[in-house]
Amino acid sequence: MNRTASASPARARPRGDRSAETRWLALCVFAALLLVFVGPYVLPPFMVNTLVRAFFYAAVALTVDILWGYTGILTFGQSAFFGIGAYAAGLVFTHMGFSGANATMALAAAVGGAIIVALVTGWLSFYHGATALYASVVSLVLPIVLTQIIFSGGSFTGSSSGLSGYPSFDLEVETWFWLGGGFLTLVTAAAWIVVRSDFGRLLVAIRENESRCAYLGIDISRIKIALLAALSVIAAAAGFGYAGYSMVVSPELAGFTFGTELVIWVALGGRGTLVGPVLGTLILDVGTAYLSGDLPFVWKLIVGLAFVVVIIALPKGLIPALVDLVSRMRPSRLPTVPRGADLVALDVPTGGRPAGSGSPAVEVSNVVKHFGSLQVLRDISFQASHGELLSLVGPNGAGKTTLMRCLSDGGERSSGQVRINGHDIARRPPHRCVAFGLGRKFQTANTFDTLTVAESLRIARTRLEPPSMRRASGELALPSAALQVVRSTGLDRHLGEQCRYLSHGMKQALELAMVLALEPTVLLLDEPTAGLTKPERTMIGNILVELARDHAMCILLIEHDLDFVRDISSRVIVLHHGAIVLDGSVQEVVDSPLVREIYSGHVAASLGEVAT
Amino acid sequence: MIALLLDTVTTAAILFAVCAGLLLVFGVMKIINFAHGAFLTVGGYSALAVTQLGLNPWWSLAFAFVIGGLCGMLVERLVVRPLYARPLDAILATWGLGIIIGQIITLVFGRDVKFVESPLSGTVGLLGTTYSQYRLAVVAIAVALAGAMAWALNGTRLGLLTRAVIMNENLAKGLGINSTLVRFFSFSIGAAVAGLAGALITPLSSVDPNMGVPWLINAFMLAMVSGMSLISLAAACLVLGGLQVVVSTYGNPILGGLTIVLVAALVLRIRPQGFARE
Repeated sequence: MNRTASASPARARPRGDRSAETRWLALCVFAALLLVFVGPYVLPPFMVNTLVRAFFYAAVALTVDILWGYTGILTFGQSAFFGIGAYAAGLVFTHMGFSGANATMALAAAVGGAIIVALVTGWLSFYHGATALYASVVSLVLPIVLTQIIFSGGSFTGSSSGLSGYPSFDLEVETWFWLGGGFLTLVTAAAWIVVRSDFGRLLVAIRENESRCAYLGIDISRIKIALLAALSVIAAAAGFGYAGYSMVVSPELAGFTFGTELVIWVALGGRGTLVGPVLGTLILDVGTAYLSGDLPFVWKLIVGLAFVVVIIALPKGLIPALVDLVSRMRPSRLPTVPRGADLVALDVPTGGRPAGSGSPAVEVSNVVKHFGSLQVLRDISFQASHGELLSLVGPNGAGKTTLMRCLSDGGERSSGQVRINGHDIARRPPHRCVAFGLGRKFQTANTFDTLTVAESLRIARTRLEPPSMRRASGELALPSAALQVVRSTGLDRHLGEQCRYLSHGMKQALELAMVLALEPTVLLLDEPTAGLTKPERTMIGNILVELARDHAMCILLIEHDLDFVRDISSRVIVLHHGAIVLDGSVQEVVDSPLVREIYSGHVAASLGEVAT
Repeated sequence: MIALLLDTVTTAAILFAVCAGLLLVFGVMKIINFAHGAFLTVGGYSALAVTQLGLNPWWSLAFAFVIGGLCGMLVERLVVRPLYARPLDAILATWGLGIIIGQIITLVFGRDVKFVESPLSGTVGLLGTTYSQYRLAVVAIAVALAGAMAWALNGTRLGLLTRAVIMNENLAKGLGINSTLVRFFSFSIGAAVAGLAGALITPLSSVDPNMGVPWLINAFMLAMVSGMSLISLAAACLVLGGLQVVVSTYGNPILGGLTIVLVAALVLRIRPQGFARE
């Protein structure tokens, strides 16, 4: 791979940023560790005791924040993993006594148990087509089931009263404070690095637009399951520490109420900020310890009220709201530099026939799709080869978009067969179809609202270049076709801009560039030029012709503008009422009286729609 | 065998009553109302108030319906409506609301367990076995409730508008249907039905500030597997309620308590549309 620095201007980004950021993080970690070190000497004993517990809670809250705040998975179940860690320690120490070996074994059991439970939960919650609500409901079921299992354990698990008074680590409370505080600081710092890395951006991309990610060939279910497993380890370790410190474990630790309490802490502290939920947990838990004695029910009422008010009025959370307020009063001296990137051309052959394959690019046989009794596609069969630019035309409701869906998601069609580059897509989900060389652009511009242009393009490269979990890379390597779209549409001057601020045309161009960054050999484009100006359309048209001609890419295009179709297509398929009525050259289609009739009928119908 | 059958039918009836309000809200607003458990509790305490006032216990049903409905109106206007565009946040806010309602009840009535007078006590001979009169009455009430809801949805103008919003809210709005109003009524009626259900279940158990929570989870799962229809809810209640009875009777009661939750989660994993037809 030949990398050549691009000559593109405008994204020169101060190189010093990242090291400044690292220095700042190191400084924060140092300051936090210093606070943890002096804490036991300056704080009253009761608060020291409470804070140790709160440190472990905060570590779990951190996992909730990564799942919910960053990845968009609202979970009530992280308490279950905390409970698994706590009970691993409680059970081993109660029944086998305490020793170094037993403690190691208990920790291993905590981690192993949490991973297994996380994998099962993940398999249940995250599959292609699962709704966010379903995942939340499963996360509710998990702690309920676990609590019931603990209840039914009789004297082994201590049932509803839990286990207490078992032998544990012989450590002073100061040492626990240092251990707990150090653990929390390090976990928070690690989480900070991960969420700011390229992988962290990927989590946000999943939150923002899951289906776009799937069609970029990203196996979302796997990422979510792996993430849950990794975070369950942190939660279990925190539970283990808690049980070692408090020498009491009870079913409530694994319960659904604790799980929702974690969500409340994260919401109040500020989701998606890491530091907010950690501080929120510490403050609220200490507050609860001090105030719930004096105002037993009122305190909980106040927390409940605050939670509802924050959710409605300050969805970002209390701490971010305060920070906003302060920064508004005192203009920040550090202007935030939008994250751009240096464009690097990646000299890969864009598209083209996969070496050694003689099969057609797209092979569709007898594809049928119906919703109940409504036939949307009837017995569609056609082939398309590399180098062809095939337009699908037909009036609204002819089934064009449905056909594209059936080509790119194995679960869509009712019957029939689809082969991409000779691979039967069977019932495979979209990301597996992408692996066969498919790239799909949606009808409406489909991007990631809060990610920048550069970040979006990097997300599109995830399948080919696994993102780093430690670094946010400053370079953006793109295959030449994607780079060409980026440059010729002027996107390269907006690399640091968030997608939601782009114009409609820019969004369309960005999505096209993202799809091309996948290095597809078969390109499905659903009205790629809708809403674009005439010069923009011409330019996109030229790029498409070039891709088909010079890179032997197979392009399937849905278009309404017949002039545009005539200018660029090498072949046209006319769909009407879900069936192919014509498949031929541009000239054949243009001359066909049938097509004219369909379209004039369509025009009359659409006029009728306007009239009613 | 007969006892098992009667247990299944009465359990299903109770589950149906508990879940019906939640399903209505879920259907119209596409959110799971976490405050449903609190509305059940409100119903339970309404029944308690009726008992304490010395009124005929049958009054508790009407009283709970009205109080639940009033709570629903207030909550919809103050909490749910502002979160229309953020469904996951609406779910969270209703959970916070559950906490608030629970704490207010605790402050007013205390946190101890209380008992409510049952409108019907004693047993009746049926099909060669004796069975609790009240549980049989619950079946009749649940059937009446189902009938009333079906009539309201299919026989009234508001019901027609509601079904339109359930199917396609944007289109309904485009046709000039005031979907805000439909949401308001649906949520209020859902809360009223929850209150009624709370009053209905209290003579079978007891009243405490968290009595709604255990019911809530089962009601969630039933609503999730039922899709949007009362018929599939009835089917889900019969099947899952029956399974729960069988597992509790022949297996162990703790596993029985988990049956609905676990089976529903698996059903949804394998067949995302659950008991609904498509």
